[in-house]
Amino acid sequence: MVIAITLVISALSKNLNLFYSPSELLEGNITPGNIIRAGGMVTSGSIKKSTDSLEVVFSITDFKNSILVTYEGILPDLFSENAGVVVKGFLREDGSFLAQEVLAKHDENYMPPEVAKILESKE
Amino acid sequence: MIPEIGHLLLIGALVLTFIGGSLPFYDLVLKKSFSQNYIRSLSILISLLVAVSFTCLIYSFLVDDFSVIYVATNSNTALPSYYKFAAAWGAHEGSLVLWILCLSLWLLGYLFSKDSVNDHFSSITFAVMNQVIFAFILFTLFTSNPFERLLPFSPVQGGDLNPSLQDFAFTIHPPLLYLGYSGLALPFSLAIAAMVTKNIDSLWARTARPWSLLSCTFLTLGIGLGSWWAYYELGWGGWWFWDPVENAAFVPWLISIALFHSLIATEKRGVFKNWSLLLSILSFAASLLGTFLVRSGVLTSVHAFALDPERGLFILWIFSYFIFGALFIYIFNNTKTQVESTYSLRSIEFGFLLNNLLLVVLAISIMFGTIFPLLYEAYTNGKQVSVGPPYFNFLILPFAIGLGLLQGIGLFLGWSDTKDFKFFPRIIIEALTILIVINILLYFLFGSFNTGSLIACFIFAWIVSGNLLDVFIKKRTFNKIKSFLNFRLGAVFAHLGIAFLVLGVGVVSTYSSEKELILSVGDSYDLDSYVFEFEEMTFKQGPNYIADVANLKIKEDGRLIKLSSEKRNYLSTNQVTTEAGIVADLFKDYYVAVGENIQGDTWSFRLQVKPFVRWIWFGALLVAIGTLISSIKHLRKGI
Repeated sequence: MVIAITLVISALSKNLNLFYSPSELLEGNITPGNIIRAGGMVTSGSIKKSTDSLEVVFSITDFKNSILVTYEGILPDLFSENAGVVVKGFLREDGSFLAQEVLAKHDENYMPPEVAKILESKE
Repeated sequence: MIPEIGHLLLIGALVLTFIGGSLPFYDLVLKKSFSQNYIRSLSILISLLVAVSFTCLIYSFLVDDFSVIYVATNSNTALPSYYKFAAAWGAHEGSLVLWILCLSLWLLGYLFSKDSVNDHFSSITFAVMNQVIFAFILFTLFTSNPFERLLPFSPVQGGDLNPSLQDFAFTIHPPLLYLGYSGLALPFSLAIAAMVTKNIDSLWARTARPWSLLSCTFLTLGIGLGSWWAYYELGWGGWWFWDPVENAAFVPWLISIALFHSLIATEKRGVFKNWSLLLSILSFAASLLGTFLVRSGVLTSVHAFALDPERGLFILWIFSYFIFGALFIYIFNNTKTQVESTYSLRSIEFGFLLNNLLLVVLAISIMFGTIFPLLYEAYTNGKQVSVGPPYFNFLILPFAIGLGLLQGIGLFLGWSDTKDFKFFPRIIIEALTILIVINILLYFLFGSFNTGSLIACFIFAWIVSGNLLDVFIKKRTFNKIKSFLNFRLGAVFAHLGIAFLVLGVGVVSTYSSEKELILSVGDSYDLDSYVFEFEEMTFKQGPNYIADVANLKIKEDGRLIKLSSEKRNYLSTNQVTTEAGIVADLFKDYYVAVGENIQGDTWSFRLQVKPFVRWIWFGALLVAIGTLISSIKHLRKGI
């Protein structure tokens, strides 16, 4: 039992990814390099795709602030402008976000709860 | 008209289940047992009402009755009729009706099995099942009525069934999973009946055992199918994501396995009685908690249909009523009689004890990781956090090893004590031999040797030699083997299934290769000596979508393999999906998913080679067959 609890706690402490909105990311309390998640809407007109690599740059916004995200890889089918998105990765020294994973969910009406909350709190 | 009939029938079933759920109380008031005479006819009637009501819903889909909101949101005229049929359970409201239907079928199955006799025990079981069905019908009618109309301004065209759900595996995945989930209500009801009638004995354990096995069969099939669907449909090539909803099904699965093992010990030796009762309650609790997680949309998940706090609250009420009610009954009715039989550390009882401990602690740890984000949010006043897949991967490893090691020797242990341990060194030798053979095979297949898969390969070898090889070597004569298999066939199948599953997981996690890249028509790429060539791009017109099709060639030892991956655009919702191109042989899958158009003839691709991935689902299938065999064997025998 004790072993199990120790296992759970040590596993949990290593694998918690806190979630932030773009505004929170800009407050500067986050150590660059820590794996975190961030979410918001993809700003319209912000998606810039490279033509010779899989690199893509876009910004996500909570309508107060926005932050630049860099990602290298294939984006999910439901990734688009003005759609909710959650990115997992880390903050770089220059304040931009390097995403290792981009999640856009499987329904066009579906909004990740975290993003929905950000948008709610804006209103 | 038809939707109204469906609605009314559901209300009728609500009334009947209310009567059914309170039948034993009339017995108490009238001081005689009259309820027993009605339980069979009542449950036939209830199942009939629910079945016809569900048929009404399906009918509304088939005739495109868009005045029904649920139909209008989840179907349209262009949808092939086969999917219209399945769309009935494609979203929240309809899947609840299916759930209720499953519950009533389980009840019917129990009452017409050999286990059920006309007694107080049966009518209590009947009453508890009715209360469960009643609660779910109430939930459906008040928070998620699929028959609700949109009048007078009903749309002429509907929305659509989510394109990624327009698929064969999807059409049978939910019914199987729901059968498994809802099946756990039966051992739960039987446990309540055992406690209320003070029949916590081996007869009860024998009655509950095949039903918990059968629930496990359906859960296994449902989960396996879901994993397979995610693998080829989502375009990532992953077969397990530790998504909250996967966990919500995985946890009841683990507990149902613990339950039927514990019930064996209760039946044969009269031990673990209270533990088996608690597990029966726990497994249904896990099933309800799973429902809550899926339906309330509190967690970020692929499966979260709706963000509806009202629904979540309602399910929490249902959960509290049944689980706390059951625990309350347990406190006053658990059995305090000490069991006279003792067992040593080398007995099968102790083996089951360890098995249960590992399974339940693992299940609780997974559940904890799944709901931790909720607890954290409540505790920190809205700060959000997620628990990453490494948490679960890290946790499951020691438990899987422990369970795997137990399985290899499990069938050789005797009740109360095992005197003959001669099999032990033999299994080790056999297992090591198989281990070496597998690794030589892997080396020849993939040209490299990967130590990461050693543990999985050893567990595989260990279970196979313990369950199959050693039996054949030891028993030698055909008749002995036949009688052994007759007795243990289900267990052998299920344990071998776990072995294949473990091997598949181990090899695919260590030997896979993957590359995301850009290819123009004519380009080729060498992925670990498999050469992928992008041949051409074609166009395809589907029934309700258009698609760009990327055609590729793979060269392998002079053989030429062709495969194609599609980028589909579903016209009614303008939704884009990817159909992965997969070519499989016994030992590996080639997996190609086309990404997006970069410019002209240039597209992005995800190329993967996934060795042994199929063995995971093959293993799951064996587990399902094994549990089914055992379950049928016990059901046919009766009590």
